[in-house]
Amino acid sequence: MPSSLEHAAATATVLSELAFQRLYDANATSIHSYLLAVSARRDVADDLLQETFCRLLLHPETAARLDTLELRRYLFRIATNLLRDRHRSGDTTPFADPPEPTTHPSLDNTIDIRTMLQALKPRERELLWLAYVEGMDHAEISNATGLNRLSVRTLLFRARNKAKQFLAPARASL
Amino acid sequence: MTSENSTPHNTPQDDQLRQAFRTYAATLSTDLTPPPAAAILFRAERRRRRAAIERAERPLLIMQTLGTLTAIIAIAWLAYRFAPHTLPTLNPTTLALAIACTTLVLAGCWAMLHASRRPSP
Repeated sequence: MPSSLEHAAATATVLSELAFQRLYDANATSIHSYLLAVSARRDVADDLLQETFCRLLLHPETAARLDTLELRRYLFRIATNLLRDRHRSGDTTPFADPPEPTTHPSLDNTIDIRTMLQALKPRERELLWLAYVEGMDHAEISNATGLNRLSVRTLLFRARNKAKQFLAPARASL
Repeated sequence: MTSENSTPHNTPQDDQLRQAFRTYAATLSTDLTPPPAAAILFRAERRRRRAAIERAERPLLIMQTLGTLTAIIAIAWLAYRFAPHTLPTLNPTTLALAIACTTLVLAGCWAMLHASRRPSP
């Protein structure tokens, strides 16, 4: 099977084990957190994280032509597509088992944000996470989610307003 | 992060939201342990091999489909041949050749199917 041998050789030259390890160390935790925050299930987040990096490894030619930042965005895009595929396939267990961190550096915020995430739709969680945690702008979010840039703006505006309603009581109680 | 319509809005509520999200993300980061990279490399390698096997088996699948079609056509033709009818029939030599060809195709398909199902060393 010469074609598969060539393919394997190409992969080996483009993304060596060491390079992959470095890439994984730099991005795995962020993507894992993103997947967990959106899917709200640790088993799903673990599986989709593996699938995300697997897909990257299976398309070494894409990895070869992207720089570090683009590669990070590309990984978020794969992760977002996988989340959406899972949602479309009907495996949409509600936010019944929200990720509960074991440590609480800022207890009020942590509790509020978990309540908020439970109430938001998956797409709203995606957008808010990419905007606030990853610090992406509209164009970058558009790249990462595959949504139109103007749609990102509108959807993010709505998601932000929805999220603010959940923060209001916390502010009042301060 | 630089354009004028970029995400950061700096109302107090936005700051609070951003802070809340980042605190939560930091908490999750310390709490989460991603699976080892070696497991993912192994998974990707296994999938690549499976894809290569599927690619290699594609001609066999085509031959199997062709064989099935040939068998169906042969059965239909034989049924037609031996059923009472008024249409002209094939002479014995042509019939013998047709049967021999069908048998050969089916035997070839069976041999390939058998070889493809045999576990590799």
